[in-house]
Formats: sequence, C-alpha cells, structure tokens
Amino acid sequence: QMIFNADEAHNIVKECIESVLGKADYNHNKVNQWTAAIVEQSLTHLVKLGKTYKYIVTCAVMQRSGAGLHTASSCFWDTTTDASCTVRWENRTMNCIVNVFAVAIIL
Amino acid sequence: MEIIYVYTRKRSEFGRPCSFSDRPAKVNVDIPPDPSMASDFVLRNPVDSYVQHTSDMSEHEVNTERVEVESRGVNHVEGGWPKDINPQEVEQTIRFRKKVEKDEHYINTITHLGTLMEHCVKQNNAINIYEEYFGEEEVAEVEDEPPSAKTINVIRDPNITKRTATHLSWHPDTCKKLAVAYSSLEFQQNTKDMSFDSYIWDLENPNKPELVLKPSSPLVSLEYNPKDSHVLVGGCYNGQMAYWDTRKGGLPVEVSTVEVSHRDPVYGAIWLQSKTGTECFSASTDGQVLWWDIRKLSEPTETLVLDVTRKGLLENALGAVTLEFEPTMPTKFMVGTEQGIVIACNRKAKTPPEKITSTYSGHHGPVYALARNPFYPKIFLTVGDWTARIWSEETKESSIMWTKYHLSYLTDGCWSTVRPAVFFTTRSDGTLDVWDFLFKQNDPSLSLKVCDEPLSSLRLQDNGCVVGCGSKLGTVTLLEISSGLCTLQRNEKTLATAVRVLWAASRCLRLKERARSEAQETEVEEKPVESPHEVLNRARREFFEVIEVELQRRAQAETQRLPSLFQVKDCVGEEAAAQGEESQLLKDKEEEEEEKDAAKEP
Repeated sequence: QMIFNADEAHNIVKECIESVLGKADYNHNKVNQWTAAIVEQSLTHLVKLGKTYKYIVTCAVMQRSGAGLHTASSCFWDTTTDASCTVRWENRTMNCIVNVFAVAIIL
Repeated sequence: MEIIYVYTRKRSEFGRPCSFSDRPAKVNVDIPPDPSMASDFVLRNPVDSYVQHTSDMSEHEVNTERVEVESRGVNHVEGGWPKDINPQEVEQTIRFRKKVEKDEHYINTITHLGTLMEHCVKQNNAINIYEEYFGEEEVAEVEDEPPSAKTINVIRDPNITKRTATHLSWHPDTCKKLAVAYSSLEFQQNTKDMSFDSYIWDLENPNKPELVLKPSSPLVSLEYNPKDSHVLVGGCYNGQMAYWDTRKGGLPVEVSTVEVSHRDPVYGAIWLQSKTGTECFSASTDGQVLWWDIRKLSEPTETLVLDVTRKGLLENALGAVTLEFEPTMPTKFMVGTEQGIVIACNRKAKTPPEKITSTYSGHHGPVYALARNPFYPKIFLTVGDWTARIWSEETKESSIMWTKYHLSYLTDGCWSTVRPAVFFTTRSDGTLDVWDFLFKQNDPSLSLKVCDEPLSSLRLQDNGCVVGCGSKLGTVTLLEISSGLCTLQRNEKTLATAVRVLWAASRCLRLKERARSEAQETEVEEKPVESPHEVLNRARREFFEVIEVELQRRAQAETQRLPSLFQVKDCVGEEAAAQGEESQLLKDKEEEEEEKDAAKEP
C-alpha cells in the first residue's frame, strides 16, 4: 500500500522555506506573505508527488527575541498509512516551523 | 491556487471501513527561551501607529478630445470670386455683384462684419505698435562719472615660493582665458624648490589653473598665436624657445636647441604675420633678435645682432628688453633695449647693417615696454625709467610728449585698444595709471593702487575693458575699467589727431627755443664783463628781491585757509623753483667772491 515518505516531504518543505525566507530578516510587514507563500508552495509540491493523500500544512514564523516555543501534536489515524513531518528552519532573526500531516485516502 | 486531484474508483469499492489507531503526542517544536537574544532588541515606547477614518478615494483622469487650432491668414488679391466667374471679365463680375447684393442675407452679414472691422481698425490706429519710440533723443554723450576701475578677479600663484608674473597673454578668441608666464627675474635668486611651471587660467575658475605648462626652464614671455588659439610660444629664462599645443597637454611640443638659442632670458617673443601662422621672433638681452619657425625649432631662420654701429658685432650689441610688432606693418618692427634706446628695424633689408633703420634715444634706463598706437601706427609709446614717452616715427631726435617723472619707476605700458588717446602704465609701487591725453596731460586720469608689491606686467584684453596686471609675487589682478575709458568718445579721433599735431608743433617750438637759447648763451659771453663788485651787488639785490617775493607769497598762502590742490602745487613748484634760484644765486655770489679774491691777489 502507500507509504508516506517523510524524508522526501522534509526535503520538499525545506526547499520551499529556503526559497521564501532565504536571507531575509524578520520583517513584521512581510511575515504574512511569507507564511502564506511557504504553505502554498509546500502543498503544491506535495500534491505533485501524485500520492492519494490529504495534506494539512501549517507554518509558524517567530521572531528570535529570546522567547521559547513548544508545540506538540497527537493524532488518531491509521498509523500504517498516515504520517506527519515537522520541519524546523532558523536564521539569525527568526524561526520557521512547518508541520505536514498526510492522511491517506482509502480507495 | 488550484490544486486538482482526480481519481477514479469503482462503485463497488466505495465504503471500505477505516481502521483507526492512536498516534501518541509528539512534540513538534521545542525551542528553549534565550534571554540573551533580548539584548538585540530595544524597547520602543511610544510606538507610532496611524489610523485614518476617511472614505477611500480613487483618482481617475479624463481627457476630452484635443482639437488642434491653427491661425492662418488668407490674402485676397482679387476678390475671392467663385470659380465660374473670371475676375478679368468686367461683365461677369458686375453680374455677380448685382446678384449677390440682392441676397437678403448679404446685408445682415455685411453690417455685422462691418462693426467687427471697425473695431479692429480703431484699435490699430489707437496704438501704433510699430512706432519709433525715443527716436529723437540722442545717446547721452557727456560722461559725467569720473573714471574708475574695479577689481573683478585676483589669481594667485599656487606655488609656495612666489614668482613674478612676467608676461600675460589673453586668449585671442574668447578672452576668457589668460596665459601667464611666471619666472623669477632676480639675478641668481632661483631657489631649489621654485617651480618652473606657467599656467593658463580660465577666468571662471581662478583657484585652479586650466592647464599647467611645464617648460624645462621658467618662462619669461608667453604669447598665444593669434591665428591658432591652441598654440602658444614661450621664451625661457635660459634663452630657449618652446612652443605648446594646448590640445597636447602641458609639456612643450618642441624646444629649440640650446646652442643656437639666446644666451640670456628671452624677454620678448611675438608671433609674426605669415601664411603658415607658425613664424615668430624673439629678442633677448644678449643682443640678438632671432626668427623662428616653430615647426623646426632646431635652428632660427634668421638672426639679427642689435649693433647700432651697424657692424654686426655682438660685443657692441645692445641688450633687447622688449619687442614690438604691428601686424599691419609686417616688415617693420621695433626693439626696446636695456640702454634706453629704441631701435626700429626693417626685416626686409638686404644686408644686416641695413636692417637697423633708426634709433630713438631718450630714456635713462631700460625700455620696458614698447607699443604702437593701434589707431595711429606712427605714434608709439615707450615705458622705461620713471617716465612714459610718446614718440612719432618721423621725429627721431626726441619724444614728442612725455609724462612727468614719477617717484617709482614704470614697469610696463600699453595703449587702449578702443580709445586712441588712452594708455595704461604700471609702476613699481604697485599702481596702475590710466592716462587720457584728451582729458588731462600732466597726470594720469586714473591712478589705482592695485597691490603692495611692484607690478611687473600689464595686458589689455582686446575689447579694451578688462586689463590684467601681473605682480612681483605672481598675483594677477584683473580690473574692469569704467565704460568712460573704454568706449570711443564722439570726437575722439579728430581730437587725437589734433593733439598729435599740437605735440609736433610744440616740439618744434621747443627745439627752436633750445636752438635760440644756445645762441643766446654765446651772446652772453660776448657781453662786456662787469666788474666783480658790480656783479656781486647785482646778485645780492636780486637775491633779496627773490626772498622778499617768496616771503610775501608764503604769507599769502597761509592766510588763504583753503588752498586748492593746483595752487598749492603751483606754490610748491614755484618755491622749488625759487629755492633753486636762490641756491643758484648763492653759488653765483660765491663764485663772484672767489673771483674778486682772485682778482685782488695779483
């Protein structure tokens, strides 16, 4: 059956983040654009993989000013076919966390 | 964003049961706090934030269709007849006219047009815009303002050791550029760090020279070629000649060879009038005048030794200090010498001795400047020792007019290019004098103290309004003289001619008087010798008479509280004369007494 390849997804998402955030510094005016762009691009690329999955992508960009951030998630699904992946990216001024949840569509 | 995922599935395969299981909590992100990062941020209080409560507006533009309007006129020569009427045919025109006049519309149109036309015609007659205003008034001739000059620019030598600005040359076309030759003319005073450079200055930028000319030895004279304004010729302190092309930069294009050049500084270098425009000649205190073609500076084309005995011997030669050349008389030129003699030469003479046509002597010291009057070429001005003298070529014995002896010696002079009776001189006390012989003969009409150091050179711009003076410390001052001194007065030319004639006449008179007085002296000797005693009495009487007169005059002068300048001068002059007489008489008395004693002895 179908298996969600977490590594592949990880790479895809990382590329997307790099392309959007790249060398930018945290800019309050542009953060909305960035998050939207990251999410859209990641989703598009994931769908292009051609697998029959439902994808849920979330993105959080946080300014690095000394605060800590902790998130957790728990899921109730078919563990054989469904999986999730979290991508963390950071630069000098901000942190970016993208969560990808992939739920298989049983045909 | 459109993401479409299409799949097909058999109907029977719908509704497979899902098997769910729990996936335990997973920590996705765990970023510990880092308080040190807070130091990167600054608390901003207050924070500006704007809020605006207005309705949204948008901007649109609309432009109506543009209609091009053009004014045109039509000139009807003959009527504007319709096509089928031949204007030459009288019958047709008459018939047409009758037809039109019967038209109703015609009368209305005519009256309407008539009123319009009337308005325009009346307007035209009310103001004649082509009328000649102020036609009867003449331009104000009388110049009431006193002559004056003001400094418009001062250009200083940028080097630390200042050198004298020995020669100035204006750019022939634009008159906005000035080439200045700098050198130190003190005998063997050249210090090691003294630069050899001379500069071309643009008047717009007096702080930095436009072009730096770098000869191998300081330039004493420098002249623009009047035909080609890019070429300059310069005479060096060591006697060489060099020429520059400003398009090629600051180094000389060619320099004459040392062996055939002058042996003393080249004090005068002037361009000649020639077809090629490349010929120039130079003069120096070594007694030679050399002609050069700048295309070939390896040797001069011609030489002339300034030996007035006409033997061509260099030992007898007089050192030349200044050169003069008038383009309207290309075969003649004049040289002013160190010995105070002006030599007029003819270039086209066959043998060297014949080249020297005549000499004019009269100065006690070197003739520093020599200039022909641009309006009367036979009259020329010489400046030297403490006077400036005006000569006529015909009268060789002495100058026809000279200024009084000044306190400081004169260093340079030139005629005005616009007014025939005006000339300028510079003095070694830093004063520029402007002389106008129609206005005042004894004194300069304007005397201006330009700077504290001696002025060494003077050059008038071709338009006659701006004059540049170079000083001993390398400062070039540009002065603009008042319009009265640089615009041609109405009768000036005729007056100047009249003055010339007067001078010539007065000179003749003076000569006659001198001849007569010489004859008189011989007469005096023939008179019977008075006895010494009588002579003594007579001398004593005259002596006391003179003293009486003088005392009276002095008493008078003191009672007059406000003597005018001229009177005082006259008094002073007369006093000086009287004193001279007194001393003379005293001497005479002494002589008589001696004679008496001598007569007594034997």
